[in-house]
Amino acid sequence: MSQNLRILMIDDESRILRALKALLREHTTFQTTNPLEAVKLAKQHDVDVVICDQRMPEKTGIEVLRDIKDAHPRAMRVLLTGYSDLKAVLGSVNESEVYRFLSKPWNNTELRALIEDAGKISREAPVIERDALPTVEHDRARSQVGVLVIEDDVTVQQRLREILQPYYKVNFANSAERALLLMEQHETGVVISETEAGRSDLTALLKALKIHHPHIATVVITERANAATAIELINEGQVYRMLIKPVRMGTCRLSVDSAIGRYWQLKQNPSAARRFMAAPATVEGQNSPLRLPAQILNRIRSLPGRLMSVAARTH
Amino acid sequence: MLSVIVILLLGGCIWLGYEVHRLQRENLVLRAGTGESEDALKKMQASQAQVIQTTKLASLGQMVAGVAHEINTPLGFVKSNVEVVGDLLDDYRALVQQYDVAVQYCLQPVDLIFSADKVSLEKLVKHVEEARRKLFEARAAVEKSPLLTDAKELLGDASEGLSQLSTLVLNLKGFSRVDRDGMDTMDLNEGVESALMIAQHQMRDRVKVVKHLQPLPKVKCMASQINQVFLNLITNAAQAIDGDGTLTIDSRADANNVEISFSDTGCGIPDDVLPKIFDPFFTTKPVGEGTGLGLSIVHKIVKSHGGSIKVRTTPKKGTTFTVILPVIGQTASAAIPAAAAA
Repeated sequence: MSQNLRILMIDDESRILRALKALLREHTTFQTTNPLEAVKLAKQHDVDVVICDQRMPEKTGIEVLRDIKDAHPRAMRVLLTGYSDLKAVLGSVNESEVYRFLSKPWNNTELRALIEDAGKISREAPVIERDALPTVEHDRARSQVGVLVIEDDVTVQQRLREILQPYYKVNFANSAERALLLMEQHETGVVISETEAGRSDLTALLKALKIHHPHIATVVITERANAATAIELINEGQVYRMLIKPVRMGTCRLSVDSAIGRYWQLKQNPSAARRFMAAPATVEGQNSPLRLPAQILNRIRSLPGRLMSVAARTH
Repeated sequence: MLSVIVILLLGGCIWLGYEVHRLQRENLVLRAGTGESEDALKKMQASQAQVIQTTKLASLGQMVAGVAHEINTPLGFVKSNVEVVGDLLDDYRALVQQYDVAVQYCLQPVDLIFSADKVSLEKLVKHVEEARRKLFEARAAVEKSPLLTDAKELLGDASEGLSQLSTLVLNLKGFSRVDRDGMDTMDLNEGVESALMIAQHQMRDRVKVVKHLQPLPKVKCMASQINQVFLNLITNAAQAIDGDGTLTIDSRADANNVEISFSDTGCGIPDDVLPKIFDPFFTTKPVGEGTGLGLSIVHKIVKSHGGSIKVRTTPKKGTTFTVILPVIGQTASAAIPAAAAA
């Protein structure tokens, strides 16, 4: 049996709370139907995992989890919702940085296993309190860490070049093949990517990248936002930010800045990357990373890991 | 002279023949023309039917999305609870088996009881103590089993969830009236409730719904059409509210009419837009988001029921749509056949 976890559950339907309590009966659970109490309870009981509903009258789950992220960052955050509209999906990535986005009705065995994994990670993996770096360090990170843009639309490429070139070491790729080549040559901390290039899917590549190199932060920029793909990118791709085209300069710079901060800190503290571990891939699903050609998968796997601990060993 | 007449006659005949031919040709062209306009009319009717079908599908899509949300929550806990109670039964079976082992231990034959030597006596005392302890622990474990404490509550919730689900299905049936055709007597308050349920996911976390529904006499109407009217007005109200707001629904009746009004605290309708809101294909939504048919269909349905619809709006304050229907409804033929199954 796994260790006894402290789990906080928030849902305006008390029957959902009772069901979860019974399901997770081997752990200590705290629950409330009032989302306004959530932050206080999370801190007070030093909880390991938070499971939260999205649509509640007083406050949305996105807001609850965002506030818990700031007030009690050690807790792993899971959104459990009955209806996934795109706004909720985007918010759960960009604001609450959830570990998983789950739908009701859930699968008991999977949910229990997932929560137990999350709890273990919460207790064992170090926390990155905030992604933003102090100015001096940020400048150092910017000068070392490459930003890779995967995008085949020339106009968007040009726009991103204008936004990013003055501040970061940027490379541009218009296909998965080219992206891999660039990552083999340059240290890449942030990947900015469309969900597809030239009609071929890129999400499988992003997922595979996250499985083997969880410290790289991915920012997805997409035109056609689709809730199901976005949920997959959260659960199987642990995407860092998800932006909708047209890209605004402010949002884009802000996202890349904090993505670089995230990578930089994970590079120095590789064991914290467990917190951003993607769900194991399954062969089902059209955009599964396991469906990538073996040669591509191998290249992703053998991309140089430029982490501090690795560097220390090789010197 | 004769030859001249013959020539003239011949010429006349040729001319006549030519003229007849021309007329025949024109007649053909004309007929083709009528054919064309008949085709065009048919095409137009078809495309109009298609548009109505599209709006029907759009409201169906909206209904499915709304209902999916309402269904997934009860489904979530019902499914989980039933499985958990199954697990608890397995756990309980294991506890009962342990209890049984303890009982077996107690029932072990103790034939040393009459031999009085000290060692045997101590053994006996130990055995009895051990048996008591084992039995006590096994019994306590059985009593503490979550099966006895929680299962009843979990099953109670599951059963409650199942009735929530049945209510949803009933509401859906009530909304679409799949089991009824044509005119029917209907309590409009029920129509408001079922339309509200379907539109709920659009409002849940931002639009507060206040209902002042007074008892109403039943109205003879096409229930599925009237429900579509309510859903449309509720959806419009929810969309007019940017962020948080309130939708107030009032219903009242006098001797002749039933009135239902939908008041939102939304953006209101600008003066230049107001005269056009019931025009078919008029929309202020971006291309692809609205058909521009919602309110025109609403208007058509209400009119065909012998009723009327009133709008009062203040820009930036909100809008009130009031549907007025006569208590004694129109005949069945009055309703719009095209939207009958909506």
